[in-house]
Amino acid sequence: MSAMRRLGPLIANLAMTALALMFLYPFYWLIVSSFRSQEAMLVNPLRLMPESFDLAAYTSIRLVGGVPIEVYSFNSMLITVLATVLAVATTALGAYALYRRPHLPGFKFVQFGFLLTMMYPAMLLVIPVYLVMFRIGLLGTYAGLVMFLALQPILFLMFSQFFRSIPRDLMDSAKMDGASEWQVLTRVVLPIAQPVVNTVFLIGFLLNWKQWLPILVVAASPDRYTLPVALLAMNTEYGINFQSTMALAALTTAPIVVLFLLTQRRVIGGFVAGAVKG
Amino acid sequence: MQSPMLTANSANAGALQPGPVMAWMLLIWQHRVLYLMLLPFAALTLTFGLWPIALSILVSFTENQTALSDAATYVGLENFQAVIADPEFRHSLSLTLLYTALSVVLNLSLALALALALSGPTLKRGATFYKLALFMPVVTPEVATFIVWKWMLNQDFGAVNAALSSLGLPAFAGTTKADSAFIALVIVELWHHVGFYTVVFLTNLQLLDASLDEAARMDGAGRARRIWSIWIPQLRPAIAINSLYALISFLKTFTAVIVITKGGPNFATNFVSYYAYTKFDLAQYGKATAMATILFVIVLALTLLVHLYSERKDYR
Repeated sequence: MSAMRRLGPLIANLAMTALALMFLYPFYWLIVSSFRSQEAMLVNPLRLMPESFDLAAYTSIRLVGGVPIEVYSFNSMLITVLATVLAVATTALGAYALYRRPHLPGFKFVQFGFLLTMMYPAMLLVIPVYLVMFRIGLLGTYAGLVMFLALQPILFLMFSQFFRSIPRDLMDSAKMDGASEWQVLTRVVLPIAQPVVNTVFLIGFLLNWKQWLPILVVAASPDRYTLPVALLAMNTEYGINFQSTMALAALTTAPIVVLFLLTQRRVIGGFVAGAVKG
Repeated sequence: MQSPMLTANSANAGALQPGPVMAWMLLIWQHRVLYLMLLPFAALTLTFGLWPIALSILVSFTENQTALSDAATYVGLENFQAVIADPEFRHSLSLTLLYTALSVVLNLSLALALALALSGPTLKRGATFYKLALFMPVVTPEVATFIVWKWMLNQDFGAVNAALSSLGLPAFAGTTKADSAFIALVIVELWHHVGFYTVVFLTNLQLLDASLDEAARMDGAGRARRIWSIWIPQLRPAIAINSLYALISFLKTFTAVIVITKGGPNFATNFVSYYAYTKFDLAQYGKATAMATILFVIVLALTLLVHLYSERKDYR
């Protein structure tokens, strides 16, 4: 009986560890495969270490579809950072205004309209967005991409959730003391909002980094593509080269994996805060 | 009796007319700072959310050739009739619904099981690592990870079959056969999403009322019984949120299809969003947007149902 009692938790932990490793395995396989040729893979698909650290694949992706890899990396960084900054600023202010006075004329309409866009099949929204971009002259521009990507439901929900957690008295008493709405925001809310802003920025970064469809459609030429879009193009258009695809996939994934490993507690907590009761 | 009343009423209405408008303007002016704060967000939502949706729905009522021009020909419900009459669309819709039902049930039950396991004392020490592993696929770029899965399912050198054969199990046909391609997508998307639902359940589990559980234990209820009668009812918020997110994301499944199966083999994974996308590629804009609109209505209806479930009064 006591042996069973000790064995039970051990088995449970072993099973859970095995499952966790299975979840992580595709990432490991990705890294190892980027150093292995297709021929080597055929001989032994499950090898845990590459035969040699063959960097051929990484040098082969200096140019993808005729565009230097630096351009894709630069685009990824630029579009992700700008879209995230814009998203944080607009959704924070928007969520704040909607939280303070949800019943002002027009406010319900904006909130409802925003939630509606969440439910429309995004892949089909992108084509009319193309038309909209064309009409307002933003097609193929960074500005257009950045503005479209700034609409992220979960970031909005994270801010809403946060504002709701602030005691109403805190704001109302400031209002009583004659503070304007702007002062309430900058002097009462912002000082305690720093952690939320950081978390939202982090999650916005992670989410924007993996965007691909809007960029594929709205970018007028490959020199506006980001890493995931270049990767998708490689998967379909440029003739499939296994090892190079793995190398580019590794480059696309690595920054996110590192960022997530460094911030996982905050990221997971933030996702949950955004998800819970929108 | 009739006429004096009427005149009095309309005279009153006339006198009141400027009132509400003035009051509105005053209200807006009083809260101008809040309106300014909302403005950028509202502008983005209108320009890149509602306008494109309206445009897309409008296009679904136009004829294909003229759909995108300024002088579009409106054809009423013709596109919707054509889409519903298309046997491949009906097949695609039933595939999508089957896929969604299967994925929602599998994801939520696995997530609940994982959350229950992780919330107990047994797995406490490794909990951070387990959560990290489960959540990693949620944040990493799908295009990259789905491409990895596509190659892991490769019949010649993929890791999946190599692992199965080393365990003495039969090979998995992956994306080469209709049924297995469908199952492959279910598995890959499960891997991608389940961590998210798990942590939502976990958070809800941490907020449970421990005294109820304690009382039930005192009354001699076993663990299974307590999970069923004490925990699950209290998990309603997480169940509602997870079903909502799962429904929305699985009904719209697209990236996995375009990266891994391209709708095949033999249309076995030709889900509505992908089918509509291929219609777009063929410049059949009216049909494509009609499909999108149908899918949108389904998502809306199901979302509403889940919302009603979560708001339902508790009769316990």
